Amino acid sequence: MEDGIFEQRTDLSKLSAAVEQMKAAISKVIVGQHDSIELLIAGILADGHILIEGVPGVAKTLTAKLIAKSIDVKYSRIQFTPDLMPSDILGTSVFNPKTTEFALKRGPIFGNIILIDEINRAPAKTQSALFEVMEERQLTIDGETYLMDEPFMVLATQNPVEHEGTYRLPEAQLDRFLFKIEIQYPTLDEEIAIITQQHHQKTNDQLLDIKPVLSASDIKSIKQTVKGLHVEPNIIEFVAKIIHESRNNKSLDLGGSPRASLAIVNGAKALAAIKGRDFVTPEDIIAVAAPVLRHRIMLTPDKEMEGVTPDNVVSQIIQKIEVPR
Amino acid sequence: MLKLFTAFIFTLVLTLFLTSTVAAVPKKLPQQIKTDSSKISVKKFDAKAIEKLKAEKDFNYNGESTGEPTWWDIFWQWVWNTLGKIFNSIPYSGKILKYLLIALSIALLAYIILKSLGIDAMRLLSGNAKKVDIAYSESLENIHEINFDDEIEKATANLDYRLAIRLLYLKCLKQLSDKNLIQWQIDKTNSAYQHELADQQQKQIFGLLTRQFEYVWYGDFTIDKNAFGNINLLFQNFNKQL
Repeated sequence: MEDGIFEQRTDLSKLSAAVEQMKAAISKVIVGQHDSIELLIAGILADGHILIEGVPGVAKTLTAKLIAKSIDVKYSRIQFTPDLMPSDILGTSVFNPKTTEFALKRGPIFGNIILIDEINRAPAKTQSALFEVMEERQLTIDGETYLMDEPFMVLATQNPVEHEGTYRLPEAQLDRFLFKIEIQYPTLDEEIAIITQQHHQKTNDQLLDIKPVLSASDIKSIKQTVKGLHVEPNIIEFVAKIIHESRNNKSLDLGGSPRASLAIVNGAKALAAIKGRDFVTPEDIIAVAAPVLRHRIMLTPDKEMEGVTPDNVVSQIIQKIEVPR
Repeated sequence: MLKLFTAFIFTLVLTLFLTSTVAAVPKKLPQQIKTDSSKISVKKFDAKAIEKLKAEKDFNYNGESTGEPTWWDIFWQWVWNTLGKIFNSIPYSGKILKYLLIALSIALLAYIILKSLGIDAMRLLSGNAKKVDIAYSESLENIHEINFDDEIEKATANLDYRLAIRLLYLKCLKQLSDKNLIQWQIDKTNSAYQHELADQQQKQIFGLLTRQFEYVWYGDFTIDKNAFGNINLLFQNFNKQL
């Protein structure tokens, strides 16, 4: 019941409990970053890949590892380097002298949650190896197509300030990430809490206490629930107007793609489910608009030189559009 | 032996040279010179043809004298001199360069005008400047122009309780705006209005009303007459308190 009038249509109790458990487990290690953690969980529920960006030392990799560890699935980690080859990620066919046949030696991409650390350190050739698997959840090697196990999620980290030995990710690949989450510096109180927590830490491995709270089958059923949440036509129109405006905005060379529209709706559904609602409100849309669009849109060179950020432009776009009610 | 051979060659070359010089001396000239006694016919130019050619502009290589130079000529003279100084060469006054400079100046002027008007010149050229307006009925709605009581009555009579709840909520926003408790803006969300309320009790009740509205309007929850009556009562009580 909601305020004694509305009967709950969708059972979100399991989802809410799992989300609370995940948040509790992560907050044991990570101080603050509540919005980022909520978006990370929303990304899992919306079946999307997530790019985490932040300066060195803000616990990007640790957060990603914690998320991965809170789900009982196969986890693999790939450290991207400039000399990494596509076959190092995907795998390669190796000749077996006993059977006199070639057999696929599977690469680390064959997992459920793939943590790609420092994704922008590998060149475009290696990045393009991820295109098929990220979008279609399948891989084609030597003419054979391999379907990825569910859930399949790429959690990638990158550092925005370092340019030496890094490559800008191709636009096609950026578009495949549901959210780009920017991890900010902690506040003064959070900084004190981090130092105090580390000072009292007994063990070196912070991940030892983290136990999985969701299984692969749980994730699968939750995803189905999230997919079925209600979205009003006026909310869909609101999303379409945001994306349309991004394509006509003077500050942008490249606006949002139709994939971005879908990502906003899917992300908003997941966020609504986390908040215990089985329908999407304009606030859910606004909350996910910047994480969905900031890596997809491209600023004009003059705006970039003026110091305008993609988030500023997204905010301006939303201000122009009437909230449906 | 070698010396003897060298002396022989030298003597031979000298002999040959002297012989040829002697042979080149002209022979004796003849005693009488013949005179040309052929009849010469004087040819005269066609004066009309000469005048016609003189009148043609293409054959006027010295340029016409136009009297005092105009400001335009002075300007261009200054341009060529300046360019000559910059590039350290003889001033050039070619027509192609002149027209090119005029075209560039016009383009620059047009760009400055468009930029000052806030129009993206590059987009204008690429054809992407056209904005597409989406037909959206809500954007034309102004809460200050709606007769809420009439509209709510109509919606209730049509058993459209969902629309009636929406109108109740919009009426509530209008009243809050009229009393300067919130600042009405199209881009503000419901929770933004809730945060604007300074009175804690008002904030709490408005939060409850917002949830009712969101469940009905965004969540498409069906409500019957009784449920509408309860929600309507909550709205009426809140409006009375304002």
